[in-house]
Amino acid sequence: MLTNKHLKYESQKIGMNYFRVAIVLFGAQLLFGLVCAIQYLWPGFLFETLDFNIARILHINALVVWMLFAMLGSVYYLLPDEAGRDVVGAGLGKLGFWVLTAAVTVVVLVYLFIQIGPGKESTIWFINEGREYIEAPRWADIGIVAIVLIFYYNVFFTYIKGRQTGILTVLVADLLALAGLYLAGVFFTDNISMDQFWWWWVIHLWVEATWEVFVGALAAYGLIKILGAKREIVEMWLWIEVLLLFGSGILGLGHHYFWIGTPEYWWEIGALFSSLEPVPLVAMFVHVLYDWGKEQGHKEAVEGEGAHAVSNSPAMAWIALNAFGNFLGAGIWGFFHTLPQVNIYTHGTQFTAAHGHLAFFGAYATILIAMMYLGVQGAYGIKKMTMTFKSKMAIGLITFGVIGMTVALTIAGYEQVLVERAELGAGWDAYFIAQNLTWMKQAMGWRLVMGVITFIGFVYLLWDLVTIGEVEEAKEANELQSAVA
Amino acid sequence: MQSTIVLPNLAPNEFLGIFVVATLVLVFGVGYAGLVTLAKMGYVKRAWQYVAYLFWLLQVYVLYDLSLRIHSSVFTQKILIVAMIAYLFAPHLYFYLVDQSAKRYESALENRKEES
Amino acid sequence: MSNKSASVWTSIRFWRRSAAWVTATAVVLLMWLTFDTVKQISMGSDEDLKKGIRKRIPAPTVINYHIDYKFSKKRGHEVPVIGQKEPFFGKEWSPKEAAALLHKGKLTFQAKACIDCHTALGNGAYYAPDLTKAWLDPKWNNGTMTAMIGKKTKEEAMAEFLMHPDKYPTHGRMMPNLHITKDEAIALVAFLKHMSSIDTNGFPRNFSINAKRLKGGTNAH
Ligand code: HEC
Ligand code: HEM
Ligand code: HEM
Ligand SMILES: [Fe+2]
Repeated sequence: MLTNKHLKYESQKIGMNYFRVAIVLFGAQLLFGLVCAIQYLWPGFLFETLDFNIARILHINALVVWMLFAMLGSVYYLLPDEAGRDVVGAGLGKLGFWVLTAAVTVVVLVYLFIQIGPGKESTIWFINEGREYIEAPRWADIGIVAIVLIFYYNVFFTYIKGRQTGILTVLVADLLALAGLYLAGVFFTDNISMDQFWWWWVIHLWVEATWEVFVGALAAYGLIKILGAKREIVEMWLWIEVLLLFGSGILGLGHHYFWIGTPEYWWEIGALFSSLEPVPLVAMFVHVLYDWGKEQGHKEAVEGEGAHAVSNSPAMAWIALNAFGNFLGAGIWGFFHTLPQVNIYTHGTQFTAAHGHLAFFGAYATILIAMMYLGVQGAYGIKKMTMTFKSKMAIGLITFGVIGMTVALTIAGYEQVLVERAELGAGWDAYFIAQNLTWMKQAMGWRLVMGVITFIGFVYLLWDLVTIGEVEEAKEANELQSAVA
Repeated sequence: MQSTIVLPNLAPNEFLGIFVVATLVLVFGVGYAGLVTLAKMGYVKRAWQYVAYLFWLLQVYVLYDLSLRIHSSVFTQKILIVAMIAYLFAPHLYFYLVDQSAKRYESALENRKEES
Repeated sequence: MSNKSASVWTSIRFWRRSAAWVTATAVVLLMWLTFDTVKQISMGSDEDLKKGIRKRIPAPTVINYHIDYKFSKKRGHEVPVIGQKEPFFGKEWSPKEAAALLHKGKLTFQAKACIDCHTALGNGAYYAPDLTKAWLDPKWNNGTMTAMIGKKTKEEAMAEFLMHPDKYPTHGRMMPNLHITKDEAIALVAFLKHMSSIDTNGFPRNFSINAKRLKGGTNAH
């Protein structure tokens, strides 16, 4: 993680920089998540010092930002491989990286030390926009748009001047939509319904449409790179994924328009299209698994038992986990509460949090971590990277921790639905009666325990990313020597 | 516009059943997709493929049960049927396409060697 | 790469085109629905209120009216009911004043990041009660809070609570002092009252039904 010595292209070096910041922000995300989880159990913890809302803003903004960093990093990293040439504006790309990193630092410091402001426009501009996930103040929005324009310029012209593979075509189109959608979140209105209507354009059309397609493209690249899967098949399949994902996900947006003041017809539209959203996720799951098996079988047939098709086993493990986690967290847990008959009860409960955690982790964290392992492999010039003990601890503990948190939150959500919503019909007292039952308290306790386990897994991950390059490099050098001798 | 979806009240004692049945939908769903893929890949015996279809059938059944438990209207039931059929076919579409295109792009093997 | 015997199903071109068409169709449909929805969720006018025309999101002057949340047989769920005029902080607010107040309220709502502890219209954080119908909550209406805070009207009690929530805790999990000024507090209460008048298709369902069981009367009051 700490070297670029074997990277031929400037673009890939920029990519590695993005990965480095991303992994640090991931750690910060987890720490602030732990603060929130502690406050659920001991509300006095950091009360009026770092209140729940501020810790939560840091938790979810660090989440969004580390993922965006890792996404930019992934694109810069795969760009030369795909286009067959270096990025057109390397200097500009570097500048963009440093400016973005500096801007993020300032935003974080302001969240930490200024936190909130008076009810005036200036607060929205300079401190905090107060809209979930996209709390970054307006000045930062404008900065982000500028940096993204630089980034897009780089991707687009590298694509035009280089080889125009199917993967890049999908990425170029998808990134434009992804960046454009951000603009739907950059305005102020007094009308809370209108506010949330457009807010979901950003959140839903990101995570259930454009980001998913992005992940499809990354998985396609990963399969070709790691397994040597056949490009034509992978790319054909990518287009089918685009069809299924956009075909269901765009109008699936309706599942957020059941209760925010929007008309009833969204009940039908939301139910219909979002029920179909798990279908592409199943397709992606089957795809990764099947290709892995096929290439492995092919390799064994040609080179005999024991031959390994995988050139980077930690990355492949995370990609396989991605295929499964996406299907489970987004597809299954999402489907659980997507029908209006169910959602009227589960809307805005711990159940939503259960789905949010498993989906974000399964669909995005996993594959972005896989891309980081690919980056390390390239940076150290390793031919065949295998899992170390630390890689295994990282993937094992993080997965166990996140699934554990999800189960705890699902139980909490069930209890909340039953008591607060069905039995008591929401309201202030109903809310606290449900919060104070033993089931809820125990679930929150387990969430914290599982969160700590997740964090320990993260420490292994960080440690592994920093050290695995040298370990594997030395191992290959040794093997080479003994082969020569 | 008159809504085709109605949202009747659920009694508190109906929730446990809903929760359990919804979990079964999950279990059978994962079972179907996983088994059918593993069988096609040859990691498990071919016969498991039939077990996979059995899982799918069970999934359809529990989903139907779920739709009754949430007192859903005909519209929602239709949606669920469409989703289940799409779910049955999605993996097969993939297997079919991979086989077909493997034949078609055999010649492309050369390109691949160059690249790596 | 072309191969005469190959079927269309394995053609990349075919799938690329299909993907483009499906996406374009979905986008067009979404645009069309968006035009209709945006029209329906734009705020109504003061005239609408005076004439009794129901808008999904009423004008800011709805703060001058009594608001309730009652079961509608026709819709099959609860809907907000806008009743007689009632003073808000002891006066009737002109359309201009009411709009300015709501503007300040929404700004403060964002500036203090309320949404990262509470949910509003069910979206946000799950650390504190949903605020969608907070204005109608039995605790504000049955005398509990007014007595505890020592104010005559619920709007005054709410404003005082928002300014010093740590002085009036009712649960171990307290709301912190967010340094809200008097003006901001009044504006926030207006924002909350306005939000309670939004037609949310019956969310939250059976609002505070426990209060009804204990006290009789409508669910909300
Ligand atoms: C740090 C988390 C936090 C923030 C930020 C916060 N609240 Fe609260 N709020 C709470 C908690 C916890 C309670 C419950 C207090 C109790 O029961 O003693 C509460 C209670 C309330 C209540 C009474 C409950 C009800 O249903 O009527 C209202 C109204 C309210 N908050 C409004 C707001 C508004 C408006 C803002 C933004 C200006 C805000 N809150 C910001 C945590 C928060
Ligand atoms: C990778 C993909 C996905 C991610 C990352 C994701 C993430 C999230 C998150 C974070 C929320 C909570 C938003 C908030 O803070 O209010 C949410 C809500 C929701 N998601 Fe997803 N989701 C994904 C896919 C899906 C799918 C495929 C479905 C349906 C089949 C779905 C159904 C829902 C529903 C219905 C809600 C609203 C919950 C409520 O009413 O409170 N999601 N999602
Ligand atoms: C150390 C582990 C973690 C802990 C203790 C933790 C804790 C929390 C807490 C307490 C909240 C606030 C929920 C609320 O409003 O009540 C939250 C929100 C959230 N967290 Fe985490 N978290 C952890 C890891 C993660 C990871 C790994 C991800 C995703 C990759 C994630 C994604 C989210 C999302 C998307 C939300 C918003 C959910 C919503 O609004 O529905 N968290 N987390
Ligand atoms: Fe969604």
